[in-house]
Amino acid sequence: MLFWVIAAILTLGASLAVLLPLAGASKGASSSGDHDLEVYRDQLAELDRDAARGLIGPAEAAEARAEIARRILRLGNADVADETSGRSASVTARLVATVAVLAVPLVSWGLYSQIGSPDLPSQPLSERLAKNPADSSVDELVARAEAHLAANPSDGRGWDVLAPIYLRMQRFADAAAAYRNAIRLDGDSAVRQAGLGEAIAGAAGGIVSADAQDAFEAALKLDPANAKASFYLAMALAQEGRGKEAAAAWQAMLGRLPPDSPWRGAVEQALAKSGGPEVASGAAAKGPDAADVDAASSMSPQDREAMINTMVAGLDDKLRQNPRDPEGWMRLVRSYVVLGKTDQARDALGRAIAVFGADSDEARKFTAFAASLGLTATE
Amino acid sequence: MTRKQKRLSVIVGGLAFLAAATGLTFYALGQKASYFYMPADLTTASVQPGQRIRLGGLVEKGTVERGQGGTVAFSVTDTHKSVKVTYTGILPDLFREGQGVITEGTFGAGGVFVADSVLAKHDERYMPKEVADGLKAKGVWQESKK
Amino acid sequence: MVETGHFALVLAFALSLVQTIVPLFGARLNNQRLMAVGGPVAVTGFALTALSFAALASAYASSDFSLANVWENSHSLQPMIYKITGTWGNHEGSMLLWVLILTFFGALVAAFGSNLPATLRANVLAVQGSIGAAFFLFILATSNPFIRLNPAPIEGRDLNPILQDLGLAIHPPLLYLGYVGFSICFSFSVAALIEGRIDASWARWVRPWTLVAWMFLTGGIAMGSYWAYYELGWGGFWFWDPVENASFMPWLAGTALLHSAIVMEKRSALKIWTLLLAILTFSLSLLGTFLVRSGVLTSVHAFATDPTRGVFILCILTLFIGGSLALFALRASKLTAGGLFHPISREGALVLNNLFLTTATATVLVGTLYPLAVEAFSADKISVGAPFFNLTFAPLMVPLLVMVPFGPLLAWKRGDVFGVAQRLMVAFAAALLATLVTALFIDGASVLAALGVGLAVWLILGALTDLAVKAGLGNAAAPVMVRRLIGLPRSVFGTAFAHLGLGLTVLGIVGTLCFGTEKILSMHAGETVEISGRTVRFVGLYPAQGPNYSEDRGRFELIGVSGSPVGEISSAKRFYPVRQTTTTESGIKTIGLSQLYISLGDEGKDGSVVVRLWWKPLVTLIWGGGLVMMAGAAMSLMDRRLRVGAPSRRRKQASAVAPAGPP
Repeated sequence: MLFWVIAAILTLGASLAVLLPLAGASKGASSSGDHDLEVYRDQLAELDRDAARGLIGPAEAAEARAEIARRILRLGNADVADETSGRSASVTARLVATVAVLAVPLVSWGLYSQIGSPDLPSQPLSERLAKNPADSSVDELVARAEAHLAANPSDGRGWDVLAPIYLRMQRFADAAAAYRNAIRLDGDSAVRQAGLGEAIAGAAGGIVSADAQDAFEAALKLDPANAKASFYLAMALAQEGRGKEAAAAWQAMLGRLPPDSPWRGAVEQALAKSGGPEVASGAAAKGPDAADVDAASSMSPQDREAMINTMVAGLDDKLRQNPRDPEGWMRLVRSYVVLGKTDQARDALGRAIAVFGADSDEARKFTAFAASLGLTATE
Repeated sequence: MTRKQKRLSVIVGGLAFLAAATGLTFYALGQKASYFYMPADLTTASVQPGQRIRLGGLVEKGTVERGQGGTVAFSVTDTHKSVKVTYTGILPDLFREGQGVITEGTFGAGGVFVADSVLAKHDERYMPKEVADGLKAKGVWQESKK
Repeated sequence: MVETGHFALVLAFALSLVQTIVPLFGARLNNQRLMAVGGPVAVTGFALTALSFAALASAYASSDFSLANVWENSHSLQPMIYKITGTWGNHEGSMLLWVLILTFFGALVAAFGSNLPATLRANVLAVQGSIGAAFFLFILATSNPFIRLNPAPIEGRDLNPILQDLGLAIHPPLLYLGYVGFSICFSFSVAALIEGRIDASWARWVRPWTLVAWMFLTGGIAMGSYWAYYELGWGGFWFWDPVENASFMPWLAGTALLHSAIVMEKRSALKIWTLLLAILTFSLSLLGTFLVRSGVLTSVHAFATDPTRGVFILCILTLFIGGSLALFALRASKLTAGGLFHPISREGALVLNNLFLTTATATVLVGTLYPLAVEAFSADKISVGAPFFNLTFAPLMVPLLVMVPFGPLLAWKRGDVFGVAQRLMVAFAAALLATLVTALFIDGASVLAALGVGLAVWLILGALTDLAVKAGLGNAAAPVMVRRLIGLPRSVFGTAFAHLGLGLTVLGIVGTLCFGTEKILSMHAGETVEISGRTVRFVGLYPAQGPNYSEDRGRFELIGVSGSPVGEISSAKRFYPVRQTTTTESGIKTIGLSQLYISLGDEGKDGSVVVRLWWKPLVTLIWGGGLVMMAGAAMSLMDRRLRVGAPSRRRKQASAVAPAGPP
């Protein structure tokens, strides 16, 4: 509402700037001859000053004075011809004036209604962060926490709270940094190490890399019963193609897990798929955070398969657009193999090799990798 | 000299000056402009040793070697061919493996390109225009969507 | 607040349309009321643009990420100063600054133009309004900084780290004040062409505006050069980068304009030429805008590009340059040509100045556009860099610089070149001495370097000779001389200072290019290196944390003769995580007029760091000279000669009583 009042006032002011001169009395203007005369008179005065200072010689000054005098004479002649009357033009003038006065509100309101967003208020960051937390979005809450941590970077507890939220938001790099800060400031714990591992794996698109494995192993060292760490370490085995060992590890986990553990379902699902050409590492292809795994474990098999297929298709699409991603290609090939779609796996392998060139290092790596999955490039 | 002759001589002098300036400009363009090539172009183009050119492409992954005293060697590639480049000095902040780069210099002994300046793309949204065009022409580069 | 700014921008566009059309009709119909609209509309348009700019700046200051422009170019952790300067650190915001300055100059004409003939004033405001209208439309159609995001992101994408520097606070505003200042000269020229006559007051007005624009452009270029010098970490002060050229061409043409306007004002000669030059100068400013923003050139300055913008600006460019030149072709023959003069005279010297400067502008233009032409007509891609400009630009500049001290000492109409040469004997002797001393006593000085030093000394002493001669050196006693010196018109000081500044800049360039030294090596902590007789020790590399970056700061100590440190220099590599960008912060230690410049390279595996050191003798004079030139322009502006009163009734009566004539 306030905005419309201000806009109306501004429009009124702008219209007045056009209207007032048009309505004002027509002042008798001096002809341009008068202005020229003023300039020449000034030039003469300056000449006199220069001559008095001795900046120019007397002869030079006299010559210059004569020249200016000639210009003044010429001016007198020109002025006689400078007579125009504007009576017939007054209709045109009125028309122009009317159009001009109308143009200001019409153009501005017309154009603004097309391009403006009058309903959107300003949203200064400090105001958004000062809002009642209940009304804030998750983003805003996180930003508030970030602002707090930027001011107090040694607040380990703050990092500890923020890190799992980052993980949920799929901001894996931030999550990893937050976990590292929490570990540095508040010391090691199994939960933090396992979270760090999960963040690193997430950042790598679900690949449980050596760094992630280190973190999970550190977590297990601190708390041998940490389910997340055990689960992902088994996943790492599966990803390396050591399916039997992975299955054994999951099996062992099942034996240890308390009956009401939320991990039980995930492990059972993983286990069920680990032998067959179906799921576990396929789900890993997208990089499952706990939420994804939970979601996958509470689905019917059909739904799950559909979800996995979408994930793989999404990865395929991404690689078509942005093909220079060797890790991504390997994930895709493996996903197809795991899903039992050997033709598509072979096709993906071929495309991957084409992107990097047949004699590139990547291509050799792909071929070796495919061979380890029991796939050959050309048959 | 009459007034007319004087005026004429001033005009002739002015024109001679302009002609000399024009001549110099075009001579300099012929001599000092450096052509832009990508590695694969070099097989077809004839580049004399010692001729100043600009060589653009991607910094090939895994080829960057830092030698003694700030000398760096790397390969510039357009994915079809690559050329070994040496450069002494501090690389631009945005110089990275796999990223676009333009180097300027001459070919030295043994077909190594000795660069005296290296330009890297200057922000994340910006690829050296020549390199991007060249890579597009070679079908390597695809416009990424944001 | 944000939407108020957006609305104010739209309203300012509407007013610029009115400002274009109404005064133009008024002048045509000789209707006082219509003509009177121009002034208030120009002032109101400026006020609205200022409101709009303030709204954008406050959105930046308060990190309002509901604006797409703020989200793309700001971050909540940036220091406040960079939040605010970030307003114009991007295409959209800088265009808003551009039109803000344009409307500001329009408002100045409205406010101080009461001494102009009414029709001229109306036409000038109309042309100024039309430029405004074109650029407002450009902003609203292709580069609107007020596009909103809903829902608003919570964090911005940060300002390009290279721009997170105080240089951004100063360089673009100064540069735009210069670029856009020439729009007034352009508007005056086009107004004169529309009217088909050049008033005497026209000539008086063009000069101060040229001075203002030239002063700011000089400052903007000098500041930009210094910024590139310390920020890019390459130690260079001028790269002949196409965008640098884009600002240099209007400067060269503007310098020519400044000089030809003197001839026009004093002698009513060169009117048509000056008019053309005014059009060309602003056209080159527009061309610069086009080159920077259309993405046709590869450059450090390139904004994120968008083809529609390029096409739009090209249309504006064609409309204004083509339109004004067509008008010139149609009307120029109607204008009366000015007085005659002898080739050897002040006028003659200024014509020669114009010949050299415009030719130099043309070579820079060719060098800048030639690669585009080649690319358009063949598959070849070429680049034209420093070697080309050294070969073409330098030979044009050297004779011009040699002639500079003669100009102000020559008399109008008919000069005595030998008399002037005699007066310059002292300066010449000193320059010769400087050349010989340099050649004989400084190690490694080439003949060219020695001549360069001589040239600089010649320029500096030539400027001082001008002052001394005008104060009456040789035919007056010392106290009289001092009194006369103080009493000299300020414009005389202005000329002398501008030429003196030029000499200082030349000295700085020669010193840096010919006597500078450079070393690249990898250093371990504790090692020392000697450069040009100075010993520098690398203390070590220390990590540090900034508000929105982390850095590795390399500390260096300058070791005195006694072996103890006498100064500290630190140079850093900064990493900005939001944009995943690294920048180099060079370490600079100013010693006298010279500087020691250190920049850091990569860290080696063995803990050593590549370090590049430069010793840059007299380098500060390059920009110091620019400041002196600005001071000269400011002094000239204060000269009372440039303040011409309006014809008032009182003075008319007075002059009727006292007949004009020599007192």
